[in-house]
Amino acid sequence: MLKLLVCIKQVPDVDQMTIDPETGKINRIGVPSILNPLDANAVAAALNVKETYGGEITLITMGPPSAEAVLRECLAVGADHAILVTDRAFGNADTLATSYAIVSAAKQIDHYDLIFCGKETIDGATGQMGAQLAERFDAAQITSACLIHTVDEANGTLVVERELENSTETLEVAMPCLLTMEKTHYPARMPSLKGKMAAKKKVITTMTSADIPDLDCDRIGDSGSPTKVPRTFPPVMPEPGIVIDEGSVTASVAKLLTFIAE
Amino acid sequence: MDKTNYKHMWVYVEHDGTVIHPVSLELCCEVRKLCDQSGDKLIAVIAGEIPNTEVDKIRDCGVDGIIDVSGTGYERYNTEAYTNLFAELCVKYKPSAVFVGGTTNGRDFAPRFAARIETGCTSDATEVVYNPETTDIEFIEPASGGKIMAVITIPTLRPQVGTIRPGTFKYIPTGRKAVIEEVREAIDFPLEEIRTKLLSHEQAAYDPEMDIANAEVIICVGDGLSDERALSRYRELAKMLGGKIACTRPLYDREILSYKLQVGQSGVMIKPKLYIGFGISGAVNHVAGVDAEKFIAVNKDPDAPIFHYSDYSIVGDMDEVCDAMIEALKAKAV
Ligand SMILES: Cc1cc2nc3c(=O)[nH]c(=O)nc-3n(C[C@H](O)[C@H](O)[C@H](O)COP(=O)(O)OP(=O)(O)OC[C@H]3O[C@@H](n4cnc5c(N)ncnc54)[C@H](O)[C@@H]3O)c2cc1C
Ligand SMILES: Nc1ncnc2c1ncn2[C@@H]1O[C@H](COP(=O)(O)O)[C@@H](O)[C@H]1O
Repeated sequence: MLKLLVCIKQVPDVDQMTIDPETGKINRIGVPSILNPLDANAVAAALNVKETYGGEITLITMGPPSAEAVLRECLAVGADHAILVTDRAFGNADTLATSYAIVSAAKQIDHYDLIFCGKETIDGATGQMGAQLAERFDAAQITSACLIHTVDEANGTLVVERELENSTETLEVAMPCLLTMEKTHYPARMPSLKGKMAAKKKVITTMTSADIPDLDCDRIGDSGSPTKVPRTFPPVMPEPGIVIDEGSVTASVAKLLTFIAE
Repeated sequence: MDKTNYKHMWVYVEHDGTVIHPVSLELCCEVRKLCDQSGDKLIAVIAGEIPNTEVDKIRDCGVDGIIDVSGTGYERYNTEAYTNLFAELCVKYKPSAVFVGGTTNGRDFAPRFAARIETGCTSDATEVVYNPETTDIEFIEPASGGKIMAVITIPTLRPQVGTIRPGTFKYIPTGRKAVIEEVREAIDFPLEEIRTKLLSHEQAAYDPEMDIANAEVIICVGDGLSDERALSRYRELAKMLGGKIACTRPLYDREILSYKLQVGQSGVMIKPKLYIGFGISGAVNHVAGVDAEKFIAVNKDPDAPIFHYSDYSIVGDMDEVCDAMIEALKAKAV
C-alpha cells in the first residue's frame, strides 16, 4: 500500500497583519491563521493518488499547538492520520532547522513513498522547504509538479509533469519522491459534514523533541537555524507623485494621456 | 566554523547548452560590487558544454575566475548531479557565498545542496549589501506582506547561499579583467544515480502575452478588479497602447490570471517604459518588481501606498478611468 505524507503549514493571513507605528513591530495579535493555500492543493493531489491507486495519507505539520486546526481541516477532506510536531524548542526555526525536525519526527512514525508539499507558503514564500525535506528524506524530488500522470507501485516509480518557465517536462521518477505542487490540476477539496464529524474524532499524534530519540538539539529551533534576521526596517516610501484631478474623469484622463504621450 | 577560511563569491552560470540565462549575467554584475567591497574574488561556476562566445559574456562581467566543470550528469538539468556538484565544490574550495538564479531549476537544487552541507539559504532578496563589520552579506527583502523590510544574514556559517529572481539586478558589464583564472574540474556524477528520467519535454508555444519581463508597456490589474468579465476592458486598453496585461498576486489566487503574469518579489520583475496599475494598493512585494520609466496608478483610495511610487495618478474608479482612456484613445485615432 502506498504511504503518502503531506506537509502542511498554518500561516498567518498576511494581508490582515498590521504594523505598530510606534515600535515598527508586526502585530500578529488577532490575525487569523489559515491553512497555507497551496498546501490544500498538495492534499488534493495526495487524495487523487489515494483514490486512484489506494494508499494511506498522513499529514504532518510543525507549529504551535493551535496548528491542530489545519490538521483537522485536512483530515476532514479525507486524510487518514495526522502528526503535530510541536515544542517550544522547535520554535524560531528557519527552513534548515524545520526540515530537520519534520523529517526526524516523520521517520519515527513510518517510511513514506510519496511526500507532498505546497510549492510555497504565503508567509515565507521561500519555496525551499520541499527541496530540504527531500534531502533529509533522501528522496527524489520534483519541484513545481503540476500533474501526476501515473503511479506504478510495483515498479516503485511515477510519471509526473513538471512546469518550467517556458516549457513542461514529463519525468519518470523513482520513489520515495517528494513533490511540491502547483495548484492547476488539484483544486482544494471541500469537506463534507460527515468528513468534518469524522475529523473531530480522529487522534492526532503529537510529538515533542523528547519523543524523538537521537534528536540533535543543536540542529533544531533558533540554535539550529543559520539564517538570522538581525534587523528590520520600514520600507522607504518615496514622495507621492502628481495626482491629476481636473474635476471629471474625462478631463483627468485627457491630461493623463498627454503625460503618457510625452 | 572560522569564517575567514571561506573566501570568494560564486555565481552559478545557468545555461541550456546554447545561451546563458540572463539572471546569471545579472548576478555576476551585482556580486562584482560586493566583491569590490569585501576583497573577495568573483568566480563563475559553469557545468556542461557551452559555446565560448557565451562564456565571453561572463568574462565581460568582471569575473576574476571561472570554474569550468566537465563530467557526466550535466547534459540536462537534474537535481542529483547539480546538488552533488555544488556540495563537492563547496567542500573543496570553501567559497564565502554562492549565488544562484531564482529560476525553477535554480530554486530546485540550491536549497538542497545548502541542506546537504548544512548551511543557510535565502531566497528572493531584492537587495544585497556587504557589511564590512560583520563580513556578512545582508540579504534584504520585504517581509510580512511587504509591511516591513527584513535583513537576513547567515552570521556563523559559510557559504552563504542565496537564490535571486531574474530581473532583480541590472546587467551592466563592467568589462574584462586583465587576468582571469580559469580552472577545469572533472566531477562525474553516476548516471544511474539520477532518479529522474526525462520522458518528454514540451516547449510551450512562445506566447508573447506571457512575456511580460521584456514588455515596454504593462497594464497591471490588482485585486480592485471586480470579476473576470471586467478584465476585457483592460485587455483592450493594453492592445491600444501596444502593451501586455500583468497582475498582482490576488488575481492569481483568484484564478483570474496565470502566476506567470504576477509581477513582484515572488513573481516576475518588469522594466517597462510605461506601467499603469489599476486597483493595486502598492504592497512592497509588488512594487519591488516594477522598474518603470513612467509609473501611473489608478486607485479609488486616495491613501493607497501605490501613489508614493507613481509619477502620475488618478484617484477614482478603475473601470471608469479605463473606459475613459479607451474612449479618449479612440477619439484620437480618428
Ligand atoms: C512573501 C510574499 C511574497 C509576495 N509576493 C508578491 C508578488 O510577487 N507580487 C504581488 O503582487 N504580491 C505579492 N505578495 C502579496 C502582497 O503582499 C499583496 O498582498 C498584494 O500585492 C496585494 O495586491 P493588490 O494590490 O492587487 O490587492 P489589495 O492590496 O487588496 O489592493 C486592492 C486595491 O484596489 C483598490 N480598489 C478596489 N476597488 C477599486 C476600484 N473599483 N477602483 C479603483 N481601485 C479600487 C483598493 O483601494 C486597494 O488599494 C507577496 C506576499 C508575501 C507575503
Ligand atoms: N512548519 C511546517 N510544517 C509542515 N510543512 C511545512 C512547514 N513549513 C513549510 N512546509 C511545507 O513546505 C512547503 C513550502 O514552504 P516554504 O519553503 O516555507 O515556502 C509548504 O507549502 C509546506 O508544504
